[in-house]
Amino acid sequence: MPVAMSKIVKEESTDDQRYHIFNKEFLPHIDSMYNFAFRLTMDEDDAHDLVQDTYLKAFRFISSFEQGTNAKAWLFRILKNSFINDYRKRSKEPAKVDYQEIETTYNSEEGGEVQQTVDLRAHTVQDMIGDEVANALNSLPVDFRTVIIICDIEGFTYEEMAKILDIPIGTVRSRLHRARNLLKEKLKNYATSMGYDT
Amino acid sequence: MMSNSSVDAANKAGIKTSCENHEKCMRMIQAILDGEATEEEKNHFRDNMDVCMPCINEYHLVKCIKESLCNRLERKTCPENLINTIKLKLDLL
Ligand SMILES: [Zn+2]
Repeated sequence: MPVAMSKIVKEESTDDQRYHIFNKEFLPHIDSMYNFAFRLTMDEDDAHDLVQDTYLKAFRFISSFEQGTNAKAWLFRILKNSFINDYRKRSKEPAKVDYQEIETTYNSEEGGEVQQTVDLRAHTVQDMIGDEVANALNSLPVDFRTVIIICDIEGFTYEEMAKILDIPIGTVRSRLHRARNLLKEKLKNYATSMGYDT
Repeated sequence: MMSNSSVDAANKAGIKTSCENHEKCMRMIQAILDGEATEEEKNHFRDNMDVCMPCINEYHLVKCIKESLCNRLERKTCPENLINTIKLKLDLL
Protein backbone atom coordinates (compact mmCIF):
# COMPACT_ATOMS: atom_id res chain seq x y z
CA MET A 1 0.00 0.00 0.00
CA PRO A 2 1.46 3.42 -0.93
CA VAL A 3 2.40 5.53 2.05
CA ALA A 4 -0.11 8.22 1.15
CA MET A 5 -2.89 5.65 1.19
CA SER A 6 -2.00 4.07 4.50
CA LYS A 7 -3.89 5.34 7.48
CA ILE A 8 -1.99 5.81 10.67
CA VAL A 9 -4.41 5.77 13.53
CA LYS A 10 -4.00 9.37 14.53
CA GLU A 11 -3.65 10.43 18.13
CA GLU A 12 -6.72 12.60 17.62
CA SER A 13 -8.80 9.77 16.17
CA THR A 14 -12.09 9.34 17.94
CA ASP A 15 -12.80 6.66 20.50
CA ASP A 16 -15.23 5.17 18.01
CA GLN A 17 -12.42 4.68 15.49
CA ARG A 18 -10.14 3.13 18.10
CA TYR A 19 -12.80 0.75 19.29
CA HIS A 20 -13.64 -0.13 15.72
CA ILE A 21 -10.01 -1.08 14.97
CA PHE A 22 -9.71 -2.94 18.23
CA ASN A 23 -12.82 -5.00 17.58
CA LYS A 24 -12.29 -5.59 13.87
CA GLU A 25 -8.50 -6.01 13.66
CA PHE A 26 -7.24 -7.06 17.10
CA LEU A 27 -9.87 -9.18 18.81
CA PRO A 28 -10.23 -11.73 15.95
CA HIS A 29 -6.67 -12.93 16.72
CA ILE A 30 -7.29 -13.59 20.39
CA ASP A 31 -7.39 -17.40 20.09
CA SER A 32 -4.02 -17.45 18.31
CA MET A 33 -2.65 -15.03 20.90
CA TYR A 34 -3.90 -17.19 23.75
CA ASN A 35 -2.34 -20.32 22.25
CA PHE A 36 0.95 -18.48 21.70
CA ALA A 37 0.92 -17.21 25.29
CA PHE A 38 0.13 -20.66 26.62
CA ARG A 39 2.92 -22.30 24.63
CA LEU A 40 5.38 -19.68 25.87
CA THR A 41 4.40 -19.73 29.55
CA MET A 42 2.98 -23.28 29.71
CA ASP A 43 0.62 -22.05 32.37
CA GLU A 44 -3.02 -21.02 31.95
CA ASP A 45 -2.95 -18.22 34.52
CA ASP A 46 0.23 -16.73 33.05
CA ALA A 47 -1.21 -17.05 29.55
CA HIS A 48 -4.34 -15.24 30.74
CA ASP A 49 -2.32 -12.35 32.22
CA LEU A 50 0.00 -12.14 29.23
CA VAL A 51 -2.84 -11.92 26.72
CA GLN A 52 -4.64 -9.34 28.84
CA ASP A 53 -1.50 -7.18 29.18
CA THR A 54 -0.86 -7.47 25.45
CA TYR A 55 -4.35 -6.33 24.48
CA LEU A 56 -4.31 -3.43 26.94
CA LYS A 57 -0.92 -2.36 25.57
CA ALA A 58 -2.17 -2.75 22.00
CA PHE A 59 -5.03 -0.42 22.76
CA ARG A 60 -2.77 2.08 24.51
CA PHE A 61 -0.38 2.12 21.54
CA ILE A 62 -3.08 1.88 18.88
CA SER A 63 -1.82 5.14 17.34
CA SER A 64 1.35 3.37 16.23
CA PHE A 65 -0.58 0.64 14.44
CA GLU A 66 -0.85 1.23 10.73
CA GLN A 67 -4.22 0.14 9.42
CA GLY A 68 -4.07 -2.28 6.55
CA THR A 69 -0.83 -3.80 7.82
CA ASN A 70 -0.65 -7.18 9.51
CA ALA A 71 -2.38 -6.78 12.87
CA LYS A 72 -1.64 -10.35 13.90
CA ALA A 73 2.13 -9.91 13.47
CA TRP A 74 1.95 -6.58 15.31
CA LEU A 75 0.12 -8.20 18.24
CA PHE A 76 2.47 -11.17 18.32
CA ARG A 77 5.42 -8.81 18.57
CA ILE A 78 3.89 -7.02 21.56
CA LEU A 79 3.12 -10.32 23.25
CA LYS A 80 6.63 -11.66 22.65
CA ASN A 81 8.19 -8.49 24.09
CA SER A 82 5.89 -8.54 27.12
CA PHE A 83 6.82 -12.14 27.70
CA ILE A 84 10.55 -11.42 27.58
CA ASN A 85 10.37 -8.29 29.70
CA ASP A 86 7.75 -9.21 32.28
CA TYR A 87 7.19 -12.95 32.39
CA ARG A 88 10.33 -14.80 31.56
CA LYS A 89 11.93 -14.18 34.93
CA ARG A 90 8.96 -15.22 36.99
CA SER A 91 7.76 -17.97 34.68
CA LYS A 92 6.59 -21.13 36.42
CA GLU A 93 8.36 -23.17 33.78
CA PRO A 94 10.65 -25.50 35.73
CA ALA A 95 14.33 -25.04 34.99
CA LYS A 96 15.51 -27.75 32.65
CA VAL A 97 18.62 -29.56 33.74
CA ASP A 98 20.20 -29.27 30.32
CA TYR A 99 18.82 -25.81 29.58
CA GLN A 100 22.07 -23.89 30.06
CA GLU A 101 24.04 -26.36 28.03
CA ILE A 102 21.55 -26.24 25.17
CA GLU A 103 21.51 -22.45 25.14
CA THR A 104 25.29 -22.34 24.97
CA THR A 105 25.49 -24.98 22.28
CA TYR A 106 22.75 -23.67 20.06
CA ASN A 107 22.29 -20.03 20.81
CA SER A 108 25.31 -18.65 19.00
CA GLU A 109 23.75 -17.95 15.60
CA GLU A 110 27.18 -17.67 13.99
CA GLY A 111 28.52 -20.73 15.77
CA GLY A 112 30.43 -23.35 13.81
CA GLU A 113 28.22 -25.65 11.79
CA VAL A 114 28.08 -29.17 12.99
CA GLN A 115 26.98 -31.74 10.48
CA GLN A 116 23.80 -32.86 12.13
CA THR A 117 21.77 -35.67 10.79
CA VAL A 118 19.31 -37.02 13.28
CA ASP A 119 18.46 -40.57 12.43
CA LEU A 120 14.71 -40.27 12.57
CA ARG A 121 12.24 -41.34 9.92
CA ALA A 122 9.05 -39.58 8.89
CA HIS A 123 6.92 -42.64 9.58
CA THR A 124 8.07 -42.63 13.22
CA VAL A 125 6.81 -39.07 13.65
CA GLN A 126 3.68 -40.06 11.76
CA ASP A 127 2.97 -42.68 14.44
CA MET A 128 3.26 -40.21 17.32
CA ILE A 129 0.22 -38.64 18.90
CA GLY A 130 -0.23 -34.91 19.37
CA ASP A 131 0.76 -34.98 23.05
CA GLU A 132 4.10 -36.55 22.24
CA VAL A 133 4.87 -33.94 19.61
CA ALA A 134 3.73 -31.24 22.04
CA ASN A 135 6.04 -32.58 24.77
CA ALA A 136 9.00 -32.50 22.41
CA LEU A 137 8.15 -28.93 21.41
CA ASN A 138 7.66 -27.84 25.03
CA SER A 139 11.06 -29.21 25.99
CA LEU A 140 12.85 -26.79 23.64
CA PRO A 141 14.43 -23.61 25.06
CA VAL A 142 11.96 -20.78 24.63
CA ASP A 143 13.73 -18.99 21.73
CA PHE A 144 13.68 -22.16 19.65
CA ARG A 145 10.15 -23.02 20.70
CA THR A 146 9.08 -19.53 19.61
CA VAL A 147 10.39 -19.74 16.03
CA ILE A 148 8.75 -23.14 15.54
CA ILE A 149 5.42 -21.89 16.92
CA ILE A 150 5.24 -18.78 14.78
CA CYS A 151 6.44 -20.58 11.65
CA ASP A 152 4.81 -24.00 11.73
CA ILE A 153 1.76 -23.45 13.91
CA GLU A 154 0.88 -19.82 13.09
CA GLY A 155 2.20 -19.80 9.52
CA PHE A 156 4.01 -16.45 9.55
CA THR A 157 6.43 -15.70 6.69
CA TYR A 158 10.14 -15.24 7.39
CA GLU A 159 9.69 -11.50 6.89
CA GLU A 160 6.91 -11.35 9.46
CA MET A 161 8.93 -13.54 11.82
CA ALA A 162 11.89 -11.16 11.50
CA LYS A 163 9.62 -8.27 12.56
CA ILE A 164 8.03 -10.17 15.44
CA LEU A 165 11.39 -11.29 16.81
CA ASP A 166 13.38 -8.13 15.93
CA ILE A 167 16.08 -10.13 14.16
CA PRO A 168 17.32 -10.19 10.52
CA ILE A 169 15.81 -12.75 8.10
CA GLY A 170 19.14 -14.61 7.93
CA THR A 171 18.95 -15.14 11.68
CA VAL A 172 15.35 -16.35 11.33
CA ARG A 173 16.58 -18.99 8.88
CA SER A 174 19.45 -20.20 11.06
CA ARG A 175 17.46 -20.13 14.30
CA LEU A 176 14.69 -22.12 12.63
CA HIS A 177 17.22 -24.59 11.28
CA ARG A 178 18.75 -25.08 14.73
CA ALA A 179 15.35 -25.29 16.37
CA ARG A 180 14.26 -28.01 13.95
CA ASN A 181 17.44 -30.01 14.48
CA LEU A 182 16.91 -29.82 18.21
CA LEU A 183 13.25 -30.79 17.84
CA LYS A 184 14.26 -33.81 15.74
CA GLU A 185 16.64 -34.89 18.51
CA LYS A 186 13.90 -34.52 21.11
CA LEU A 187 11.46 -36.49 18.95
CA LYS A 188 14.08 -39.13 18.35
CA ASN A 189 14.83 -39.47 22.09
CA TYR A 190 11.16 -39.56 22.83
CA ALA A 191 10.50 -42.20 20.18
CA THR A 192 13.37 -44.34 21.45
CA SER A 193 12.21 -44.09 25.07
CA MET A 194 8.68 -45.03 24.04
CA GLY A 195 9.92 -48.01 22.12
CA TYR A 196 8.94 -46.78 18.67
CA ASP A 197 10.81 -48.26 15.75
CA THR A 198 13.02 -45.40 14.61
CA MET B 1 19.67 -46.39 9.38
CA MET B 2 19.45 -47.79 5.91
CA SER B 3 19.84 -51.51 5.61
CA ASN B 4 22.36 -52.96 3.19
CA SER B 5 19.59 -54.11 0.90
CA SER B 6 18.07 -50.65 0.65
CA VAL B 7 21.53 -49.22 -0.06
CA ASP B 8 21.92 -51.75 -2.88
CA ALA B 9 18.48 -50.93 -4.24
CA ALA B 10 19.24 -47.21 -4.11
CA ASN B 11 22.57 -47.70 -5.88
CA LYS B 12 20.89 -49.70 -8.63
CA ALA B 13 18.31 -46.97 -9.14
CA GLY B 14 21.08 -44.36 -9.41
CA ILE B 15 20.18 -42.72 -6.12
CA LYS B 16 22.95 -41.36 -3.88
CA THR B 17 23.01 -42.91 -0.42
CA SER B 18 25.19 -40.22 1.12
CA CYS B 19 24.99 -36.48 0.69
CA GLU B 20 28.24 -34.55 0.42
CA ASN B 21 26.67 -31.23 1.37
CA HIS B 22 23.79 -32.19 3.60
CA GLU B 23 23.91 -29.16 5.90
CA LYS B 24 23.33 -26.87 2.92
CA CYS B 25 20.70 -29.22 1.51
CA MET B 26 18.84 -29.20 4.83
CA ARG B 27 18.63 -25.41 4.75
CA MET B 28 17.34 -25.53 1.18
CA ILE B 29 14.74 -28.15 2.06
CA GLN B 30 13.60 -26.01 4.98
CA ALA B 31 13.15 -23.00 2.70
CA ILE B 32 11.20 -25.10 0.18
CA LEU B 33 8.83 -26.47 2.82
CA ASP B 34 8.33 -23.05 4.41
CA GLY B 35 7.47 -21.59 1.00
CA GLU B 36 10.46 -19.24 1.25
CA ALA B 37 12.85 -20.71 -1.34
CA THR B 38 14.54 -18.54 -3.96
CA GLU B 39 14.26 -19.45 -7.68
CA GLU B 40 17.78 -20.84 -7.51
CA GLU B 41 16.90 -23.03 -4.54
CA LYS B 42 13.73 -24.23 -6.28
CA ASN B 43 15.67 -25.18 -9.41
CA HIS B 44 18.34 -26.97 -7.42
CA PHE B 45 15.63 -28.80 -5.53
CA ARG B 46 13.84 -29.90 -8.72
CA ASP B 47 17.09 -31.13 -10.28
CA ASN B 48 18.49 -32.98 -7.27
CA MET B 49 15.71 -34.04 -4.97
CA ASP B 50 14.98 -37.40 -6.56
CA VAL B 51 18.61 -38.55 -6.71
CA CYS B 52 19.75 -38.21 -3.08
CA MET B 53 18.38 -40.55 -0.40
CA PRO B 54 19.40 -38.50 2.70
CA CYS B 55 17.74 -35.43 1.19
CA ILE B 56 14.58 -37.33 0.23
CA ASN B 57 14.36 -38.61 3.82
CA GLU B 58 15.00 -35.15 5.24
CA TYR B 59 12.29 -33.65 3.05
CA HIS B 60 9.69 -36.17 4.22
CA LEU B 61 10.76 -35.86 7.86
CA VAL B 62 10.58 -32.07 8.04
CA LYS B 63 7.30 -32.08 6.08
CA CYS B 64 5.85 -34.61 8.52
CA ILE B 65 7.02 -32.62 11.57
CA LYS B 66 5.52 -29.43 10.16
CA GLU B 67 2.20 -31.14 9.49
CA SER B 68 2.15 -32.74 12.94
CA LEU B 69 2.74 -29.37 14.61
CA CYS B 70 0.07 -27.76 12.50
CA ASN B 71 -2.62 -30.44 12.70
CA ARG B 72 -2.09 -32.58 15.75
CA LEU B 73 -1.44 -30.15 18.61
CA GLU B 74 -4.31 -29.20 20.84
CA ARG B 75 -5.65 -25.77 19.94
CA LYS B 76 -7.19 -23.88 22.84
CA THR B 77 -9.98 -21.36 22.67
CA CYS B 78 -9.43 -18.15 24.55
CA PRO B 79 -11.60 -18.24 27.71
CA GLU B 80 -14.72 -16.07 27.45
CA ASN B 81 -14.00 -14.42 30.81
CA LEU B 82 -10.63 -13.19 29.55
CA ILE B 83 -12.25 -11.52 26.54
CA ASN B 84 -14.84 -9.94 28.83
CA THR B 85 -12.20 -8.72 31.30
CA ILE B 86 -10.27 -7.03 28.50
CA LYS B 87 -13.43 -5.39 27.17
CA LEU B 88 -14.42 -4.24 30.65
CA LYS B 89 -11.03 -2.66 31.28
CA LEU B 90 -11.30 -0.79 28.00
CA ASP B 91 -14.91 0.27 28.61
CA LEU B 92 -15.99 -1.71 25.60
CA LEU B 93 -18.90 -3.28 27.48
ZN1 LIG C 1 21.56 -34.45 -0.79
